[in-house]
Amino acid sequence: MKMTFKAVVFGSLMILAAVVFAVVILPYFHTNKITPSEIFRLRSDEEATGRDIYIANGCVYCHSQSIRVIDWGLGAERIAQAGDYVQDHPILLGSQRTGPDLSQEGGEHPDDWQTAHFINPRYTRPLSIMPAFAFLGTENIERLTNYVQSLGLKNADERMKRQKFWKEASIKAYEAGPEANVRWLHELIPEGWRNIPNPYPTSAAGLARGHKIYQDFCFGCHGPIGDGMGPAQQYLYPPPLNFTILKDRGISGGILYYQIMNGITGTAMPYFKRELESEKIWDVGNYVAVNFINQTDADEEPKGIDAAYEP
Amino acid sequence: MTAAIDDKIQSHATAKGFTLTSACWMVVGTFMGLLGATELMAPDLTENIGWLVFGRIRPVHINIVLFGFVTPGLLGAAFYYVPRLLRTEIYSEKLGVVTVIAWNVALVAVVISLCMGYTQGREYAELIWPIDIMVVIAFALVFINLVMTVKNRQEPVLYVSVWYVLAGVILTATTYSLGNVIWRPNSGALVGIPDAILLWFYGHNVFGLLLTPLAAGVTYYVIPRVCRAPLYSHTLSLVGFWALLVVYTHIGTHHLLQVPVPTWLKVIAIVDSIAMVIPVMAFLINIWFTARGKLGEIHADIGGKFVFTGTIMYFFVSIQGSMMALPDVQRVTHFNNWVVGHAHIGVLGFAGMITLGGIYYVLPYITRKPLYSRFLADLQYWLVLIGMVGFTVVLTIAGLIQGNAWLNGEVVYRILPEIHPYYVTRAALGLMVFVSALIGLFNILATLFFNTREAAS
Ligand code: HEC
Ligand code: HEC
Ligand code: HEM
Repeated sequence: MKMTFKAVVFGSLMILAAVVFAVVILPYFHTNKITPSEIFRLRSDEEATGRDIYIANGCVYCHSQSIRVIDWGLGAERIAQAGDYVQDHPILLGSQRTGPDLSQEGGEHPDDWQTAHFINPRYTRPLSIMPAFAFLGTENIERLTNYVQSLGLKNADERMKRQKFWKEASIKAYEAGPEANVRWLHELIPEGWRNIPNPYPTSAAGLARGHKIYQDFCFGCHGPIGDGMGPAQQYLYPPPLNFTILKDRGISGGILYYQIMNGITGTAMPYFKRELESEKIWDVGNYVAVNFINQTDADEEPKGIDAAYEP
Repeated sequence: MTAAIDDKIQSHATAKGFTLTSACWMVVGTFMGLLGATELMAPDLTENIGWLVFGRIRPVHINIVLFGFVTPGLLGAAFYYVPRLLRTEIYSEKLGVVTVIAWNVALVAVVISLCMGYTQGREYAELIWPIDIMVVIAFALVFINLVMTVKNRQEPVLYVSVWYVLAGVILTATTYSLGNVIWRPNSGALVGIPDAILLWFYGHNVFGLLLTPLAAGVTYYVIPRVCRAPLYSHTLSLVGFWALLVVYTHIGTHHLLQVPVPTWLKVIAIVDSIAMVIPVMAFLINIWFTARGKLGEIHADIGGKFVFTGTIMYFFVSIQGSMMALPDVQRVTHFNNWVVGHAHIGVLGFAGMITLGGIYYVLPYITRKPLYSRFLADLQYWLVLIGMVGFTVVLTIAGLIQGNAWLNGEVVYRILPEIHPYYVTRAALGLMVFVSALIGLFNILATLFFNTREAAS
């Protein structure tokens, strides 16, 4: 084959044209009439401005918005559908998960958690490597929060409704004083859980593990001495619990376990059931009980048969 | 390949300009990479310096490495070898110099706009519309200069390298305009799933229609010259060239295998990602058989050494790439540092190595002086090689940890401390690459401006 100038240039352009037709134009007509999915709604102006801030600061390089069949983590309750993206201009699927997927982030946390997290992610998440965004200023952080709280669209709205409802209740309880707050916190826990003592004995190894978990997960809010004065405290309302107020107020290993596992929707207290296995939850719960509440029911009856590893 | 017409009267201003551009921006690009790597291990280091936040400097790193280091370096070599292969002069050095200046203005605009947060938010297509236009114009100016040089040629036969440069430049100008949706200046994007398909058609072709052809052009020139051997096979050249254009261009959807895009498009992308073996091996067999028995000559020539190493990396990145396009593999490798490892073998190991090889090969010819320091060039070679290979190993391990953990149901947050040591090692290796860029810049500046020695022959 003789490679003349024309053969090279026009030949290449013709190949490109054919390829563009096959893999860009045909799929375009296949996909541009997709009907919105059942969770779809339009974004508000506020949310759209927040999205611009998301784009300007390159959140897309660390966060995907694309839940796959194989995912388990944040957002995995809903697998992405083409109809979720019909107003995304540009689409922000992302190609890296340095941080978690955000497709369904809306309503995962209340607004105050988001604010504290944007000011400096290590306030609420001590091991985070996400950059601090305090430089954006309060107004932009608010817009960004609005956008993030809309991720998941109608599903997010449902979750936000729940967050707002319980936010109000938790503030009311907090403002009624420690006694009432603790009562409110505990009366919502299923009765069975309230009566369970921590079934494992306190041990030096268990406390050491609890200490590590506390440092890595809880420290930024509840603070180094468990008084709720971690760096995130100034942005959170109700503020992180001061554990010392739990003493002699009916606290039990079961309550601690349940609250850490499930979180307290409406408050900044997140659930940890995805991040901490059972033993870790008991360990950190007992660490809090021994060190901060000064009252532990570890190894009290009823505790069933001793676990195999116990000395 | 015959000697060019009277070499003495040519100024090679364009080739020098692009070479210098590449050397300078390699320093900037690798610095941005190093800074990003450092932020991933110490996120509060640049706390509250908005224009240095990770999400802004990552696109600066990528755009500068692609359009500031690799592309100009490969074009610099082309502006030397194209006229030489055609036994003529470059059509217009003046136009060439104007292109170099415009190119640098565009690069400065890239850094400033992205650091200020002016971005269109699409990976590899971040640049805002005015810069898009500058980039397209710059490619058009390069193309005009090359086309007119071809028109003025004394040599009737167009050598393989010339095919690759011509195709690479014109196809990139076209796909860049398409991929950046330049008919929509405000957003530079389509809406929803079609946007993702177009974006990855384009993003993929940055490697397939820009880096790969330009790097192949340099390889096809440098290896036979260094080996003083004729090219092994004209047929393989043809197969490699046309197969690259046909196959590489239509498999961009392998970036979207886990996204709701039409299944038929995914099937095409997967099957033909495997078919990439054809253009890759046609090219590599051609080059490696040309070099058969001549490894001593290649080793002796610093340009040849860089370029040949680049071809080996091309082998690895392509075989790895074909594997990564398999859905079962991608369940583990997608979304994590494995892909970043792959990107670095491709862009630094393959295209970047060949860029440096091209620069070091042509530098003595365009300056008519010997290289300022062979030792420094060798040092740079080893720093890049160790840095790049180390990177890939470290990032691949980190990626496997992430991918397997996620598949097993562990959350992102829990894995962060597990990959921290790899982030630290990666930043250390990145420091080597950055230092190598400084050494290279010094060596190239010294050769261009303060080398008092005369050319060897
Ligand atoms: C360097 C990568 C990086 C960048 C850039 C980044 N993040 Fe993150 N992000 C993370 C990591 C890692 C986590 C997980 C740890 C944590 O919660 O902080 C995270 C967590 C989050 C979460 C909490 C998810 C949850 O519910 O647990 C939100 C919301 C979030 N990021 C939003 C953003 C937004 C908005 C931006 C852009 C303004 C952004 N991120 C930029 C890495 C990043
Ligand atoms: C983002 C901040 C934050 C983090 C991180 C956090 N908490 Fe909390 N925690 C709170 C807030 C806020 C409350 C509820 C305060 C209220 O309603 O008065 C709370 C309440 C609790 C309670 C409820 C006590 C009760 O008697 O009902 C427990 C137990 C608790 N946290 C333990 C932990 C542990 C253990 C960790 C780490 C694994 C942790 N928290 C991490 C903010 C946080
Ligand atoms: C046969 C050749 C190749 C194949 C089949 C291939 C395949 C792939 C695949 C499937 C991905 C997506 C990975 C994922 O997101 O899970 C990818 C990403 C990437 N490839 Fe390749 N690749 C090849 C060669 C190259 C070469 C030669 C280069 C560079 C010159 C390169 C650079 C990149 C880059 C930079 C990315 C990252 C894209 C991103 O930001 O997500 N690849 N490749």
